Amino acid sequence: MRIDPNMVPEMLANLQQSQVQLNTALQEVATGLSVNQPSDNPTSAAAMVENTIATRDLDIYTQNVSTSLATVQTASSVLSSVVTSLTSAVSAGTEGANGTNNSNDLAALASEVQGILTSVVTAANTSMSGTYVFGGTGTTTPYTADASSSTGYTYNGNSDTNSVVIGDNTSVQINLPGSQIFSSSSNNVLGALSSLVTALKGGNSADIQTATASVSSALNYVGQQQVFYGNAETQLNSQETFLGQDKVTLSMQANSLVGVNESTAATDLSQAETDNSAALAAVAKVMPNTLLNYLAPPA
Amino acid sequence: MGGLNAALLIGVSGLGAAQGALDATSNNIANVNTPGYTREEAQLAENGQSESGGQITGGGVMLEGLKSIRDELLNMQIQRQTSMQSAADTESASLQQAQSYFTLTGTDIGSALSSLSSSLAELSGNSTSSSAQQGVLAAGQNLATAFNTTASGLTSVQTAANQQIPNTVSQINALSAQIAQLNGQLAQMPAGQDGGTVQDQLDQAVQKLAGLTNISVTQTNNGETITTGSGTPLVEGDQSYNLQTSTGTGGQLEVLDSNGNNVTASITGGTLGGALNIANTVIPGLMTQLNTLASQFATAFNAAQAGGTDSNGNAGAAFFTGTANLSTAAADMSAGLTSASQIAISSSGASGGNGNVANLSAALTTALPSGASAAGGYASIVFNVGTAASNASTQSTAIGDNLTQLTTQQGAVSAVNIDEETANLMRYQTAYEAASRIVSTVQVLNNATLNMGSGSSF
Repeated sequence: MRIDPNMVPEMLANLQQSQVQLNTALQEVATGLSVNQPSDNPTSAAAMVENTIATRDLDIYTQNVSTSLATVQTASSVLSSVVTSLTSAVSAGTEGANGTNNSNDLAALASEVQGILTSVVTAANTSMSGTYVFGGTGTTTPYTADASSSTGYTYNGNSDTNSVVIGDNTSVQINLPGSQIFSSSSNNVLGALSSLVTALKGGNSADIQTATASVSSALNYVGQQQVFYGNAETQLNSQETFLGQDKVTLSMQANSLVGVNESTAATDLSQAETDNSAALAAVAKVMPNTLLNYLAPPA
Repeated sequence: MGGLNAALLIGVSGLGAAQGALDATSNNIANVNTPGYTREEAQLAENGQSESGGQITGGGVMLEGLKSIRDELLNMQIQRQTSMQSAADTESASLQQAQSYFTLTGTDIGSALSSLSSSLAELSGNSTSSSAQQGVLAAGQNLATAFNTTASGLTSVQTAANQQIPNTVSQINALSAQIAQLNGQLAQMPAGQDGGTVQDQLDQAVQKLAGLTNISVTQTNNGETITTGSGTPLVEGDQSYNLQTSTGTGGQLEVLDSNGNNVTASITGGTLGGALNIANTVIPGLMTQLNTLASQFATAFNAAQAGGTDSNGNAGAAFFTGTANLSTAAADMSAGLTSASQIAISSSGASGGNGNVANLSAALTTALPSGASAAGGYASIVFNVGTAASNASTQSTAIGDNLTQLTTQQGAVSAVNIDEETANLMRYQTAYEAASRIVSTVQVLNNATLNMGSGSSF
């Protein structure tokens, strides 16, 4: 049978093939990616669109969780100090109501409770990186002194709350407005303290007792509000753990979608190099040979 | 006829045969690298024998002619595969270009969606920060730009294909005319004579034509009849028929036959078929998906924006504009907001609130009317463009392998082998030398015979 004497096209096709393999191997090693354009693996390329978005969002979510956690923890510790202060106020009230105090003692107790009121207002005006923790979403100082108000203070914030996105379609509410914690209509902390100051100054044991009872109930109320921050903290902590796991999952997914195994890629590259040299050497050896090389030139 | 004269004539016929064979060999060697050249073989046959006085004598050799060695069936297979490969190559080149707009480069739609999503999450944690607000505005503007760039990229691929169509049609017409002329030349040759050079040129032209469109070739008495698509004649005998292009009602290019009938749908092969597929089917398909995504996403995001209040206390204005016309949504999309203070961050109207940010984020993750989220919709376009590009190049490679095999088979039949020709050169040289020795021997014998009667010999 006659065979195709013209080896050039086939040799060129082989050389081209080996060149393509060499380029692919080189690109994989250089970029560390097995998918450099959608046609390399359409399914992986499509999956990577969502993976890229999720990975980048995850970093922001993690960031949001840690800033929210700081806010929530600050608010929680501020409320703890308020609870401590209110406990002292209740003791002061109880002491004032026992009927053994002279007017000096009562004045001292009144000034102690006044001091507690001031410290609670300071606590209610706590700000973190420019934002008031108990001002709702408002940007003004939540509580300012107001002689016309029955409590002596007026609330300048609003009753809104802020939620922070910490996951896909997952948000966490990170604040309660001051109007709910410190000056709600049913359990007005500042009002109860003010009344106690007034009662202590008045010296009527029954009034002092009533006022102490409402501070005591305000104390319980603040304790209940603290639970909100405790819950938020728990949610944020568990989200932080989840995001950490998710990050690993996403990066493993990205790696399996478009990553290359470095040792495989390196082996492929060296194999491709060897193949390419072999193909070139074969062409160089075969091409110039014809029968003419072995014939003596005509005499 | 017997005697020395018979030997002389036989010797001369040997000389002629060897000379013809040497002609074929030298022509083969000279054309070893000529594209489309088909090797020739000298056709030798015995001359009729003669009888004289009961003696049968051979009549020497006869050179019947030089014959080109070709396999028309193989040629037709090669033509068919060439059409398919050429279409796949054309599509592959266009799609390689198209898919570059869908690669993760940082400026593609996927990266822009990612920036918008993360900037919104950042805004949620830091709603009063002006840099976080600027981040969202910039990400939105970048997304609109990414849609614009991708749409114009696809359009440029389509435009390139559209330019290729009339160019290819005029090349087809030129080749058809050339083939018709060669058909005419073949028809004028005496019946039974080898087509030789003319046939080589014809095959070469048909081969080129096959690269431009899908053809079917029929051998007739008038040479080759060539049709494209589903029977549209290009060449019949020495007559060629021109294709033409025209713009259809939808603005797409159409191919018409010489009578003005639209034959676009039947042209599936060659550069023309590939370019038509890209310009009229593939790119418009991707464009529709892209426009739908742009329009539906803009609508969803604008709705979320409208549900909130911006930093100036106004209801959220449309974040994205220009997407009203579905057929140009991606190209015309632009950011409608001019200032970061127009982002509807708050849901209650109170300043400092971030209640609407979650709704804006949700517009990115919630399923659009198409059934997928913005990212999911974009991912499916990436998948489609990637699959189309990968299919075209896989097809091209597969056909290429097949074509290499067919070409090898064709080479085995028709290509010039230098070793073979060198061996033939020596063979015919020896034959020529031997035949000329017969002539000189007969001459010596004739002289000897003529001198038989002269005195000096006796």
